[in-house]
Amino acid sequence: MTRPAASDAATGLRHRAEAEASALPPLLVQARHLAGSVLMGEHGRRRAGTGDDFWQYRPAQAGDSRRMIDHRRSAMGDVQYVREREWHIAQTVHLWVDTGASMRFASSPKLPQKVDQARLLGLAAAVLMVQGGERVGLTGGGLPPRRGNVQILRLAEALSADEAEDYAPPGHRALIPHARALFISDFLGPFEPVEQALSKAAARGVRGVLLQVLDPAEEAFPFTGRTLFQSIAGGVTHETLKASALQERYLDRLAERRDALERLCRAAGWRFGQHHTGDPAQAALMWLYHALERTAP
Amino acid sequence: MTMIAGIGFTAPWLLLGLLALPVLWLLLRAIPPAPKRQPFPAVTLLLGLKDDESLSDRTPWWLLLLRLLAVAAAIIGLAGPVLNPATEEAGGSGPLLIVMDASWGGAAGWEQASAQAEVQLEEAGRAGRPVAVLRLSAPEALQFRAASDWQRQLAGLAPLPWQPGPEQLEQALAAITGAEGGFDSLWFSDGLEYPGREGLIEALSRRGGIEVFEQPAPVLGLLPASYTGGAIELTALRSHAGPAQEVAVVAQGKDPGGTERSLASLSLRFADGARAASAELSLPAELRARLSRFEIRGEASAGAVALTDDSLRRREVALVSSESADEGLALLSPLHYLRQALAPSAELLEGALRDLLPANPDVIVLADVARLAPAQEEAVIEWVENGGLLLRFAGPRLAASDTARSGEEPLMPVRLRIGGRSIGGAMSWGEPKTLAPFAEGSPFYGLEVPQEVAISSQVVAQPDPQLADRVIAELADGTPLVTRKTLGQGQVVLFHVTANAEWSSLPLSGLFVSMLERLAVSSSAAAPKAEDLEGTTWTPVEVLDGFGRLEAAETLPGVKGPDLVAAPAGPELRPGVYDGGRRMLARNVLRPEDELLAARWPASVEVSGYDAPQEMPLGGALLTGALMLLALDVLGTLLVSGLLGRARTAALAAALGLAALVPAQEARAQEGPPQQQAQADFRAAELASELVLAHVLTGDAEVDRIAEAGLRGLSDTLFFRTSVEPANPAGVDLEQDELAFFPLLYWPVTRDQPLPSSEAYGKLNTYLRAGGMILFDTRDADLASAGATSPAARRLQQIALPLDIPPLEVVPEDHVLTRAFYLLQDFPGRHARGPVWVEAAPPDAEQAEGIPFRNLNDGVTPVVIGGNDWAAAWAVDENGRPLLPVGRGYAGERQRELAFRFGVNLVMHVLTGNYKSDQVHVPALLDRLGQ
Repeated sequence: MTRPAASDAATGLRHRAEAEASALPPLLVQARHLAGSVLMGEHGRRRAGTGDDFWQYRPAQAGDSRRMIDHRRSAMGDVQYVREREWHIAQTVHLWVDTGASMRFASSPKLPQKVDQARLLGLAAAVLMVQGGERVGLTGGGLPPRRGNVQILRLAEALSADEAEDYAPPGHRALIPHARALFISDFLGPFEPVEQALSKAAARGVRGVLLQVLDPAEEAFPFTGRTLFQSIAGGVTHETLKASALQERYLDRLAERRDALERLCRAAGWRFGQHHTGDPAQAALMWLYHALERTAP
Repeated sequence: MTMIAGIGFTAPWLLLGLLALPVLWLLLRAIPPAPKRQPFPAVTLLLGLKDDESLSDRTPWWLLLLRLLAVAAAIIGLAGPVLNPATEEAGGSGPLLIVMDASWGGAAGWEQASAQAEVQLEEAGRAGRPVAVLRLSAPEALQFRAASDWQRQLAGLAPLPWQPGPEQLEQALAAITGAEGGFDSLWFSDGLEYPGREGLIEALSRRGGIEVFEQPAPVLGLLPASYTGGAIELTALRSHAGPAQEVAVVAQGKDPGGTERSLASLSLRFADGARAASAELSLPAELRARLSRFEIRGEASAGAVALTDDSLRRREVALVSSESADEGLALLSPLHYLRQALAPSAELLEGALRDLLPANPDVIVLADVARLAPAQEEAVIEWVENGGLLLRFAGPRLAASDTARSGEEPLMPVRLRIGGRSIGGAMSWGEPKTLAPFAEGSPFYGLEVPQEVAISSQVVAQPDPQLADRVIAELADGTPLVTRKTLGQGQVVLFHVTANAEWSSLPLSGLFVSMLERLAVSSSAAAPKAEDLEGTTWTPVEVLDGFGRLEAAETLPGVKGPDLVAAPAGPELRPGVYDGGRRMLARNVLRPEDELLAARWPASVEVSGYDAPQEMPLGGALLTGALMLLALDVLGTLLVSGLLGRARTAALAAALGLAALVPAQEARAQEGPPQQQAQADFRAAELASELVLAHVLTGDAEVDRIAEAGLRGLSDTLFFRTSVEPANPAGVDLEQDELAFFPLLYWPVTRDQPLPSSEAYGKLNTYLRAGGMILFDTRDADLASAGATSPAARRLQQIALPLDIPPLEVVPEDHVLTRAFYLLQDFPGRHARGPVWVEAAPPDAEQAEGIPFRNLNDGVTPVVIGGNDWAAAWAVDENGRPLLPVGRGYAGERQRELAFRFGVNLVMHVLTGNYKSDQVHVPALLDRLGQ
């Protein structure tokens, strides 16, 4: 009698797994597509070291083993040359994408939800990193940094999960010292966890990028009349009789929050960026890529 | 009732509610609409923000206006506004008596009259006056009651189809004198004068004032229709001799389907100052016999209806000839032309005279009967004297007999000379005589005499003093041709020629029919007189109500005959249709001698028309408007609170649901024969517009598939190679589909194919007879193996047994099939060389000298029977590639090619028939054959 139940459970699991997996390919394809649009360039260390790319020929010195001599170059003259390659170093990148309920918002059916845009950007950045030879993982120790394409799949799967809470705090545990980090969120939730995460990261020498993804409606506040504002999960509400009167003060607060974030980033040596779901993701990815590169130690 | 700006209000104090509107404005303004819910992640940033304005968001002004309008409409609506309220200037006091003529004369204007009475009752009710109503056509004792009481009863009062008679007036007088105290009277007059009104006016004026309401339009009436000179004469009367006026009279009757409809109409024109107008209506006898009533169009009153009765029914004509039952020579029978002429308009009775007389026909025709048995002659004389028409035709027997030679006989209009005369014959001088125009006074007067009517023989009347009076038609030379005399109430008419075309061409002409019609019409049952009906009793079948509608008489008592004709209509004698056993009589409101007179009133009486403006309560409309405004308010509120979007989707969903429901219902409703019919028609139109090869559906899916593919391959081949361009082939269900569209039916025979039903066989035989061809294919290639027939061949035999198939033979060498398009000698399909059977050539087909082909029969062989499985060889898939292998290698392809050629030849043969049998192409064919 247990057999049908077991097989039912297995079928259910498989169904769920397939339903989950079916969401992955579009995200992956989109992310890869987006990543493909960024011209890859390896970030060499501008100095000789272990790597694939040619750096310079230098005369062989004592201590160089014979097999290091580049005979093709040495045959052109009497001096024996050693071919040096540029020093390549693999970095570790920690990714955190806010999948809280507050991200599941789109002010118009024509716009993507913030969480979709955040996932896409995060994954595309991860694809770029992995292609660049970096190790990418999630914060919080759920998915330790690894390299390779399989990691992309794992990342995609991990990013596809939704959280029920309204405002998820950034994960700051299990950060590898001196790694880089990418936090993508709307940063509309409580400010302290963000502050805490960043200070902890800075303490470990982790530098990175904060990307704030906002919906155009959150930027413009186009509401009028008697309105009951609710958070997506319904935990927080605010009622006003005249929404239009709130616009100015809201925008002030939003700018305030942005300033605070920027200040925080500056203090921690991070970079702060903003993206609106109404804008193309490609520009944001370009910015992310460069920002991540520049935050490199 | 309070009047404000011409509008009365029944509850004016309710209007004070309007004062509350400004308060409502302030209240509504202060209450904001419900908040809209807005999901917003950045709500955290809003927390703690206070609304700085102390004033809340306001309801939009237009929503406020909408609500206020709705409330105002409701308040005004409840205040009972009335447009054109009756004013109380005519107010009186004390009891009020409403007198109504309530006769048929007022039926046409009854609506206005009762509306006026309603107004008066309303007024009296408001003034609190007790009211009594007295209908003069059915008076009752006066009962003074509350006006509202009468208002309820008013609808039940209907005009009665008679005028107040002396009896009713007496009762009315008694009622008036029996009432106590004084009262004012309102008299609703129908506008007709009748004796005894003066007394009533006097009695009423003794009690109080009289006010009279009377419609100004004249009362119209229709006298009973009468029949004179072959036409129906209709006379309409009016009560006022006013200016010229035209009224339309409609003749109603049953159509052949039994439905009552208007059969004819004519207009009667009252000359200026005339009180009567009449016109004649000529109707074919057939229509005339169907008439049931005439009525003046637009006058819904019993007096404007003239019922018709038996006098218009189809007359019974008894045909008696001297001939015994002589079969055969129908065109020579003396009665043939009479039958033809009379059958459309009369009931014909035929048989021996002694059998026919008891049936009391209206007309007895004696065709060439010289003498009757004495007893019968007695009976016939009596019958004629009672109004019968005896129509006699001469003939050889009459000419040869001694009837009416020496003296006049009762049943002969004139004396006859011996032998008669013959003119224009082979052995006589002179031309056949033609008819002289009919003299005035003759019943035939006015009939056109066609020139082709010629009389070659006749019996000749003896000159007599009365002869001139009795001649109603004569020849061009003055010889009497038709004579007539009256006998009692009836008449005897003699045609001096035969009733067949032997002596004259008269029976062949239309004149004969017209003459018979004239005679028959003039002999129609005349309206009975009072004394004729003495001692009879008539039971009503249907009676008219005051509006001229017929209703079943049910339990009304019978009426004495003389009364039916002479007495005026009244409660005991209702106008209607009466049954007297042998005949039906119609009793109309007006008798033929009646006339209509306008009512005259003494100068002291005030007469006014019905002109009270109708009160129109507006409350309902206003309340409806309020409801609609409130519905708008719902929409507006939704819009303001941002819920309209959701509501719109819901409404859209509901609307979509409804829309989905409606077509579903429609579809369900259409699932029936009409839809099938339409589909069948569509399919028929499709099939008929193009050439379609068809195969019979055998019920074996694989066989049907191959057959379909085969015909598709053949159609393609035809399309590419010939000018025949068939459409896609069709499968044919013999039981259901129409076969006429297909020139060729390919019928693969399977072992277990069901036999067609007998209807299908009928269709198949019709199809074969109409030039269709069936190609039977047993698909086993061994049909001809003697004695070893296959199951399919046996099935074919069973199938073909009921078919209309001519003798068959194996395709001869010179059959058209061998050269209809390609020159072929065998007809392979998937199997090669199986014999093919076609209709056998006629045995007398001969081969002409020097020509390789016999001169064969016309037409297309209806069946081709073989077993070569042609469809399999023809079959192609969607891309045109052969579906099944044929033969082996190149030889197989050659065989397939020959199979296609056979198909092309077959279709060509079907479509062009024996065209290739024509000798035109012989030289070329000879050349190609190398002979």
